[in-house]
Amino acid sequence: MRAWLLAVPLLVYLAVFLVYPMGEAVRLAFTDSVSGSFPSLASFRILADDRLFRDALVVNLLLPMVAVALEVVAGLGLALLLAERLPARRLLRAAVLLPFALPEIVFLTILRNVLTPRGYLNGAFAMVGVAPVDLLSPGTASSFVSVAFVDAWRTTPVVFLILLGALAALPAEIGQAARVDGASSWRRFWHVTLPLLRPALVAAILLRGLDALRLFAAPLVLTGVEGVPVLSTYAYHQWSDYGDDGAAAAASVVLALLCLLASAPLLRRRVTA
Amino acid sequence: MKRQLLVGVAFAIATVNLLPLWLVVKQAVTPEGESFAWPPTWVPHEFTLANFGAAADAVPLGQGLALSLSVALATVVSALAIALPAAWLAARREKAGTRLDGVMVVARLFPTIAIAVPLAVIFVRFGLYNDPNGVGLWFAHTLLGLPFAFLILRAAFRGVPTELEDAALLDGASAWSSFLRVSLPLVRPSLGAAAMLVFLVSWDEFAYALLLQVTNRTLPPLLYYLSAFGYPGLSSAVAVLMLLPAVVILLLLEPALRSGVLAGSGR
Repeated sequence: MRAWLLAVPLLVYLAVFLVYPMGEAVRLAFTDSVSGSFPSLASFRILADDRLFRDALVVNLLLPMVAVALEVVAGLGLALLLAERLPARRLLRAAVLLPFALPEIVFLTILRNVLTPRGYLNGAFAMVGVAPVDLLSPGTASSFVSVAFVDAWRTTPVVFLILLGALAALPAEIGQAARVDGASSWRRFWHVTLPLLRPALVAAILLRGLDALRLFAAPLVLTGVEGVPVLSTYAYHQWSDYGDDGAAAAASVVLALLCLLASAPLLRRRVTA
Repeated sequence: MKRQLLVGVAFAIATVNLLPLWLVVKQAVTPEGESFAWPPTWVPHEFTLANFGAAADAVPLGQGLALSLSVALATVVSALAIALPAAWLAARREKAGTRLDGVMVVARLFPTIAIAVPLAVIFVRFGLYNDPNGVGLWFAHTLLGLPFAFLILRAAFRGVPTELEDAALLDGASAWSSFLRVSLPLVRPSLGAAAMLVFLVSWDEFAYALLLQVTNRTLPPLLYYLSAFGYPGLSSAVAVLMLLPAVVILLLLEPALRSGVLAGSGR
C-alpha cells in the first residue's frame, strides 16, 4: 500500500471546497454581472467608483493595526501580571480567557448592548455624572475605535496565551542574574525580558494581524454594513443586499490578495524554521 | 504594598472580563422591558423565563437548535474521518508531514467571506443553498474544522512510539489492525479533544451560517437578527442556549486550550 494515499481524502476535500471556490471567486470577479461577458473589469470598476468600497479598503488597513496594537499591549501586560504568584491564579486566568471562550456572536451582541447610547457603559458614565455618548454612531472615529477595542478585547487572550507560554519558557536564572547585578525591575523588563520575548511577540503580531484583516462579525454586529465598513462586510453587503455576485467576488478577491501579502512573512518564517 | 496593588489590578481586570457573561445572563432572565430601562440595571429586579418562550415565538428557535446540533455533530464526524489518516501519515513520514503542514497553513489563510461568497453561488447551482438539513453548511464547517482536527491528531500520533506499531506488525498483525488496535486506542483522549473543539468551531460559526442559509438558520444568525431588530432580552435568551455546550466543552478542553492549539482561530 502506498502511504501517501492516506492524504488523498484531505487533499480532495480541500480541492473541492477551497481551491474550486477560490477559482470561482476569481472567475466571478472578472465576469460582467450585467452582460455576463468574461473577462471583464466591470466589477472592479463598480468598486473603484464606490465610496463605501474605498472607505472599506482604508478601514481594513487601519483597523488591524489599531486592534493588534491594543491586543499586544494588553496581552503582554496580562501575561506579566499573571506570571506573578497571585492568589487564585487559575481563576484569574480563566476570567482572562473568558471573552475568547464565549461564542463570538454572543460576545458581540452583548457588547452592542454595552456600547449603545442607552447601554451599560453610558449607564456607568451617568453614575459618575458624565453625559451619554453615542459611541457607535456610523462613520465616526469613536465607532472605529469601538470596533477595534471590542475585537482586541475578545482576542487579547490569544496573545496572552502565546506570551504566557513564552514567559514560562524563559530560564529563571537570567532574571535572577540581572537582579543580582542590581538591575531595577523596569530595566530587567526592558533589557532582559522584552528582547527574549521578541520571537513570541513577532509571531503573535503576524498571526493576529492576519486574523484582523478578515474582521467580519465585529463591525457587522456593532455598526451594520456601513458604520465601520471593512472588505468582508462590503462583500457581504454587495451579495446579500444588491445580489451582485461579481462585485462581492471582486471585493473578496481584493481581501484574499491582502491576506496573501500579509501572510508572506508568516510563510517565510515557516520555511526558514 | 506593590503586591497588593497587583492583586487589586488582577481582580479588577477579572471582574471586567466577567461582566459580558454576567450581563447576558442577567438580560436573559429579566423581563424585556427591564433591558430597555434607563439607567440600565446591573442585577435583575425581577426574575422570569419568559424570554425563552418569546424568542421561540419570534424565530424558529427549535428548528435552529436542531440544525445547529446536527450540523455540528456531522462536522465532527466528517472532519475527524478526513483528518485522521492524513494526521497519521504526517506523524510517521517527515516529508509528507512538512508538506501537509504547509497545505494546512495555506488552507487557514483565506478569509471566510472570500470562500463563502463563491460557495453560496456554487451551492445555488447545485441546490445546496439554504438546504433544510444544512448540508452545504456542513461542507463549509468541515473545511473550518479540518485544520484543528489535523493538528491535534498529528501531535497525538507523534506521541505514539513507532516501536509499538512495529511490534504489532512483527506479531503478525496487518498494518490496518495494528493501527486499529494499537495506535487508535492510544490517541483516544486527543480524538475526544479534537471532536469537542471541532464541535465548537461549527456551533459558534457565524459567517458561513449567515451566507449559506437564509430561512433554515442555525443559532448564531438567529441571535444576530434578534439583536439587530432590537430584542435584548430575547437575543440574550438565545445566547444563553448557545453558551451551555460552549461552556461545558471549554471547561473540559482547558488543558488543550493552554497548550495554544487555539491560537489564530479568531475567524
